[in-house]
Amino acid sequence: MFGIVFNGNGFVWQSYPIFHLGFTRILHIIVSVMYRPPVCHNRNAFLSAFPNNVVSCRHEGPVWQVAWAHPMYGNILASCSYDRKVIIWKEENGTWEKTYEYTGHDSSVNSVCWAPHDYGLILACGSSDGAISLLSYTGDGQWEVKKISNAHTIGCNAVSWAPAVVPGSLIEQPSGQKPNYIKRFASGGCDNLVKIWKEEDGQWKEEQKLEAHSDWVRDVAWAPSIGLPTSTIASCSQDGRVFIWTCDDASGNSWSPKLLHKFNDVVWHVSWSITANILAVSGGDNKVTLWKESVDGLWACISDVNKGQGGVSAVTEGQQNEQ
Amino acid sequence: HGILWGLIYCERLESTGAACVFVVRRDQDIYMETLRKLFNESHGIFVGLQRCEEERAARARNAQLVQVSKNYRSVIRACMEDMHQAASKSPFVLSVLFVSILSAMELIWNLCEILFVEAAPAGPLLLRLLDWVQLHICDVDNMVREVLSSENPSKHKLFWNVVDIFVLQGRMDEARHLLSKEAIANPTSMKMYKILDDLMKKMPLGNTQTLTEMELKWQHWHEECQRYLQDGTFASNSHMESICKILLGDENAILEKKELMTTWYHFLVTRLLYSHPTVKPMELRFYAQSSMDMFLGEESSPEPLDTILMAAFEFELHQVIKECSVALSNWWFVAHLTDLLDHCKLLQSHNLYFGSNMREFLLLEYASGLFSHHSLWQLGVDYFDHCPEYGRVYLELHIERIPLNTEQKALKVLRICEQRQMHEQVRSICKIMAMKALRNNRLGSALSWSIRAKDAAFATLISDRFLKDYCERGCFSDLDLIDNLGPSMLLSDRLTFLGKYREFHRLYGEKRFSEAARLLLMLMTAHIAPCSFWMTLLTDALPLLEQKEVIFSAEQTYELMRCLEDLTAGKLDRQKFQDDDVETMKVEMLRLALARNLARVIVKEGTLEGS
Repeated sequence: MFGIVFNGNGFVWQSYPIFHLGFTRILHIIVSVMYRPPVCHNRNAFLSAFPNNVVSCRHEGPVWQVAWAHPMYGNILASCSYDRKVIIWKEENGTWEKTYEYTGHDSSVNSVCWAPHDYGLILACGSSDGAISLLSYTGDGQWEVKKISNAHTIGCNAVSWAPAVVPGSLIEQPSGQKPNYIKRFASGGCDNLVKIWKEEDGQWKEEQKLEAHSDWVRDVAWAPSIGLPTSTIASCSQDGRVFIWTCDDASGNSWSPKLLHKFNDVVWHVSWSITANILAVSGGDNKVTLWKESVDGLWACISDVNKGQGGVSAVTEGQQNEQ
Repeated sequence: HGILWGLIYCERLESTGAACVFVVRRDQDIYMETLRKLFNESHGIFVGLQRCEEERAARARNAQLVQVSKNYRSVIRACMEDMHQAASKSPFVLSVLFVSILSAMELIWNLCEILFVEAAPAGPLLLRLLDWVQLHICDVDNMVREVLSSENPSKHKLFWNVVDIFVLQGRMDEARHLLSKEAIANPTSMKMYKILDDLMKKMPLGNTQTLTEMELKWQHWHEECQRYLQDGTFASNSHMESICKILLGDENAILEKKELMTTWYHFLVTRLLYSHPTVKPMELRFYAQSSMDMFLGEESSPEPLDTILMAAFEFELHQVIKECSVALSNWWFVAHLTDLLDHCKLLQSHNLYFGSNMREFLLLEYASGLFSHHSLWQLGVDYFDHCPEYGRVYLELHIERIPLNTEQKALKVLRICEQRQMHEQVRSICKIMAMKALRNNRLGSALSWSIRAKDAAFATLISDRFLKDYCERGCFSDLDLIDNLGPSMLLSDRLTFLGKYREFHRLYGEKRFSEAARLLLMLMTAHIAPCSFWMTLLTDALPLLEQKEVIFSAEQTYELMRCLEDLTAGKLDRQKFQDDDVETMKVEMLRLALARNLARVIVKEGTLEGS
């Protein structure tokens, strides 16, 4: 089981980890380690929303990923699928309807990610045709499309936006005016690379190329920021490695990788906690592990069995059904 | 035994087909109630500590901090009690575990209080440690009760065990009392008893003298005991002889009573009592290590609790915190303890790279955990408030993610954000609530939220909805809200129009026709009304035009006519417009009414007064 759980009908289950009271020894977290953006409605309502409602349009292939937009825009969900489509769903009066369908890709769309709400409603989509599309809502049901062709040779597997926080803003007191955000996102592809894209004058340019993986990059996750000058990205790959990339200067020029761990199998997803303290990793070895950075800069696994030991080669199964 | 905390169970939700979702959360049962009380009460103590005025005199400050420590401990004990009660009602094997975890926490905290918070000096130190041991090694109480309540205590098989325990714990009076019963029952040993009793009575204890005095007295007493032992006074009674040996601090004799002491730290304290009663705090580490080695011997190795206590005896504060963090796997204990130690100014002197920030680190972790609970998050807010470096930004990130299930909760969250000038978050929350209200067709609520968020665009959207509703149904909903908009009306043009339009209706309802007429006209000429609404406004003007009394002046009528012409000329799709019968009819009616009004008003205005 990996990444998103789906069944053959093209319906999708969203799942998410639940932390309670910091007491947790997360024994077996939900499979999809995707943290939801700000929640505005009852979780249970969501879980029942999908299969009980007849959704008039559906995907014709496996759905790879779903992403929630910020609740201030309403209940909006984006889904992407093997059928080359990206569909944006909106809930109105208790029923889900398709508000937009994007078919501009020639191949499976693997990943969708909403931009920080400060930028408006913008969706990045990465596809196996190697292109990345950016869909921006311009109002009145209209979406503007910008496409980055050949972002990754062979295909793009993951996209993740940088937080709308100016690096170092915690330390230098902000001037009080609205800061000038530079939109950035990271993508991971079949060319074993992680790329960072920056918007300049309305155009998207490749800013950085991060090389360290020896096989397809399956997921990238840009860590949330509390305003420290450091930016952090996590990437995981078919080669079983998870790297943590950090950049210490605000201009975003020098990224250095640190190996979190080498797993025995493909690593499918990585996901950060709200304050970027904890990284959740899920892989083909049927395990979900949690990692935290220690004082000396090493990453240690904090979930159950391998507590406190960094860099252990085999991550064993947590105890299930502890009663 | 491994100190676990947190009961987690896995719920498996089956869906159609092979896929399933695991939802993992903490077991929500009786333990939550008890724990919630623990969190609430410790929160109160924490906040009190941050806010209380620091006493200037060192002694007074010390007393203040010791009181805080005692408060925390009493909260732990109360939780233990409740847990015990809850467990007795619905027996659950883990209840025992929980109670033992809490008991361990209290044990550790108590020791830290003695060594770090109170920082008891040599002399009082031993007395505190004795109290500590007495308080926490409770296994004896049952035994004691059993013996004392029996008919013939001195004949009870556990009699000497109890006497030994009393001696080992330095409870001389109780030991003497029991021994007297033995003396009565056994007159032959009366002589031995008297001597032993005397020795026990004379043992120097207490902190009413200086250290040197104490040491001198103790030395003399020790020598006296030594003499009696060597004289063979107790030779005929092995029990009494062993007691005398214990009084002399004979380690082997004390170790023989291993089962009664049950723990190495009990052994440590007994050892100190009878060989180094004036032990200095810094000397504890040597005795602690050797005690543990002697007690545990070859067979057993230290458990997590032992490691923690050892670290405390060695005054390795950071080690204590670290071991507790690992063993307990919950942040409650270490967060509060570290905060207290930080207030005692004990953490800063240590040369650790994030020295005093350890306090903040632990508080942030603890508070972050609280935020995932549906009601305890409110406690978390105060903890973040008292983390000067990252508290605010952590709060900003977490508070946005609280599920706003009810309006009440949203208001609570809002108040917290407003108090702290978190404007971004306020706006975000208001927008979310407005959107939610709009989705559920609660336009009034949506409007008031968007006003609060100062969201002009959204206010415009909602005003449009109101107006649309009015067109469809002929009446307004949420009149109260619209009537009382006040200055917030100016947030958006559409909202202003909505407010003024409603005012028009009110004026009409109050039969203040000329004012209403003036307002109506102004709405169009000042372009407050959107073009799409002009038809409706003109239609609203019809009843005013048809009144017996002439309301619109000539000037006003010309204006209205101009508006109508603008409107009809502006229709791009003339074809469509002309085909629409209703529209055509309306226009015709208006033209007629306006013409008629114009005719009447010209006559009226042309007529002289009184003629």
